[in-house]
Amino acid sequence: MIKKIQSLFLSFALIITSFIGLGQVATIAVADEFPAKPIEVVTHAGLGGGTDTTARMLLIRTRKNLKNNAYITPKKGDGGNKAMSYVKSKPRDGHTVLAITPTHLFRMARGGAALNIDDFVGVARTTVDPIVIFVNAKSPYKTIEDLIKAGNKKPIKYGGTNVGSVDHISGLIFAREAKTKIAFVPFEGGGAIMTNLVGAQIDAAGLNLDEGKDQLESGELRVLAVMADERLSALPDTPTLKEKGINASFATVRGVVVLKGTPADRIAKLEKGFLKAMAHPVYQNYLTGAGLDASSVAGSAAWDAEIKKIYKEARAALVSLGLAK
Amino acid sequence: MELISKITLILDLTTFLLILGSTIVGVLIGALPGLSSGMAIALLLPFTIYLEPNQAIAAMAALYCGGTFGGSITAILINAPGAPPAAATAFDGFPMAQNGQAGKALGMAAVSSVIGGIISLIVLIIFAPTLAKIAYKFGPPEYFALAIFGLSMLASISSKSPVKNLIGGLIGLFVATIGVHLTTGISRFTFSIDELFEGVSFVPVLIGLFAMSEIFVQASKSELLLERIKFSAIKLPSITEFKNCGKTILRSTGIGTFIGILPAEGGTVSAMIGYNEARRWSKNKDNFGKGEIEGVAAPEAANNSATGGAMIPTLALGIPGSATTAVILGGFQIHGLRAGPYLFEQQPDLLYTIFYGMLLANFIFLIFGLLGAKIFSRISLIPRGFLWPSVFVFCLVGSYGLSQSMVDVYIMLISGVVGFFLRRAGFSPAPIIMGIVLGQLVENSLAQSIIIFDQNLFMFFTRPIAMTFFILTFLSLFYKPIKNLFTERKRI
Repeated sequence: MIKKIQSLFLSFALIITSFIGLGQVATIAVADEFPAKPIEVVTHAGLGGGTDTTARMLLIRTRKNLKNNAYITPKKGDGGNKAMSYVKSKPRDGHTVLAITPTHLFRMARGGAALNIDDFVGVARTTVDPIVIFVNAKSPYKTIEDLIKAGNKKPIKYGGTNVGSVDHISGLIFAREAKTKIAFVPFEGGGAIMTNLVGAQIDAAGLNLDEGKDQLESGELRVLAVMADERLSALPDTPTLKEKGINASFATVRGVVVLKGTPADRIAKLEKGFLKAMAHPVYQNYLTGAGLDASSVAGSAAWDAEIKKIYKEARAALVSLGLAK
Repeated sequence: MELISKITLILDLTTFLLILGSTIVGVLIGALPGLSSGMAIALLLPFTIYLEPNQAIAAMAALYCGGTFGGSITAILINAPGAPPAAATAFDGFPMAQNGQAGKALGMAAVSSVIGGIISLIVLIIFAPTLAKIAYKFGPPEYFALAIFGLSMLASISSKSPVKNLIGGLIGLFVATIGVHLTTGISRFTFSIDELFEGVSFVPVLIGLFAMSEIFVQASKSELLLERIKFSAIKLPSITEFKNCGKTILRSTGIGTFIGILPAEGGTVSAMIGYNEARRWSKNKDNFGKGEIEGVAAPEAANNSATGGAMIPTLALGIPGSATTAVILGGFQIHGLRAGPYLFEQQPDLLYTIFYGMLLANFIFLIFGLLGAKIFSRISLIPRGFLWPSVFVFCLVGSYGLSQSMVDVYIMLISGVVGFFLRRAGFSPAPIIMGIVLGQLVENSLAQSIIIFDQNLFMFFTRPIAMTFFILTFLSLFYKPIKNLFTERKRI
């Protein structure tokens, strides 16, 4: 009797084990499905900054579209290089995505970064924010020509974020192309630049429109030119530098990339998931709140070409300025 | 009055519960070293899209208030400031806990925090549009002068030897130079470690210098006899003690609100300067650093009034007044709202919801703090052998969690060892912390000033605000020698 129970128990146990085995086979089969595990988005900035917030807003709907979880891993350090070396250590299976900005592109262009521009494939662009040249409304500079002329007499005190950033380089390229001089004053962030411009500590600054919008509307600041190929819909009367014959187009762009070698079907799946998430009102409202519009969003092909173009220009600019070899 | 009638905005159940919840979450997160209110708000941002915009912003503001207060709890009980603004609270709060006065320290922290918080909120609602303009008056030269004024108290910040305080301050200033220099882009003492390019993170150093070094101190005590449990540890401060701190609290509130308004600085600098000034004007100067109750009231009133202060430029100009308010501004964007001059004219309801939300948060953490003081203070009665190993776990998790980097853990451990030996050699952590807090500000603002002044340092004389701070600095350094000189002459 006892033996019978024992054998019954044993067979029962065997059946259960075989089911577990089957289950394992089943999961392996599912692993071919993508994404098989949560998507990791690597950022280079602290929590609550522009890159972090954009990534979080992007992921809200992406989770639903890709039917899997997604999370953010912040890897701060050396202008995005830390984030890049972290991504480099991960398999090229589409589960790791890097949130890329001009900071990374300029860091690569300076040389000695963990990855090179050719190691990336663009998946989607999330925001585009052109740099706008602001001056204090009480200043004598009414047009961009006034500013250029003044710079020839005495270097323009031009505010921006840290040395080697897109703010810095765009200011230097503007000066070179417009044949004027600037003295670059670095600040800790957009808010500080704007405050110092209103307080007339500096003459001019390259800011994103949103960073100076309130002060523009309240009449404390004035815009002189936009560093973009086309005029902004929000500033229809403000000329672009290009119109003025000054070849300097720079924007704070953000987007997501994966490492080269990631299967094309997975990139396509990610792209679809991201684009659908960004078409949703949740993301669109965020763009509006940040003073941007739907034209911020772009797909893989366009974004991939854009980061390569920005990199090339950044590299040329840094070499010509003697900031990279 | 419109203001009073608008209280109904937060009186519906959902809003009330949200504010209650956010405040308590804020206090708890603030109390945990390595987790800050800014981080918590950033993580919760995506979830707030399902809320009404007004509710979401009020909840964030309440979390901010709670988080600033929460830091004091762990600073007092286990010498591990939960957040940087509470660093100065540990200077006297922890010695008080060790003297068996944990309840008094916690009670004083709660009350002075609330007084500071509420006064700054009243300033916010009445004077915000006017006061916000101060932000524009402060350029790099003014920040430089303010930082120098703060550093002028370095030698006397603790009652230890002034020479040792100065050396400690220099160590702090040195640590602040690590990283890429703002105006030249040159990296200094980074040894190709990626994490060091943006400077040594403050929180791991803070945890290391205070909590980790305390663990070593505790471990080096070898007596086996258990101390008698002091039940007086859970006693709250008496009315007289509150009254004696009244002036200190008011002074700190003024300092905190003012420094909070300045966009570059927030609770941490406010608390340091509040502490400095409390010591300068106190009758019990020599007791500072040994467990002086005024030394708890001053930084707590200052860092909480800095929350209201920091909201002033955030709401009135759209310029973040601190790291956490920068994240709150991100919250505005997510909800398609704009902060700035228009907020006051076009969206008064949002403004009042924030005001009442923060006010309510202050009352909630007052109750939570006073009731909790009796409970939390029992932590100081836990036998050392059990308490400190758990603090060690806190130290590790807290320094790792900040940016999920092992380098931060190593920084914490190194600071702990260095801090231990410095303490044994008679140094106090206070000047070191102060040097780190003000180091970057003093250096960056000077470098920026030099560019703005076309390399001509005499241009400082054209800046009235900067000169005022320089004169104050001069007086605070040389008042005594000059006075002595005159009195001696009279004697002759």
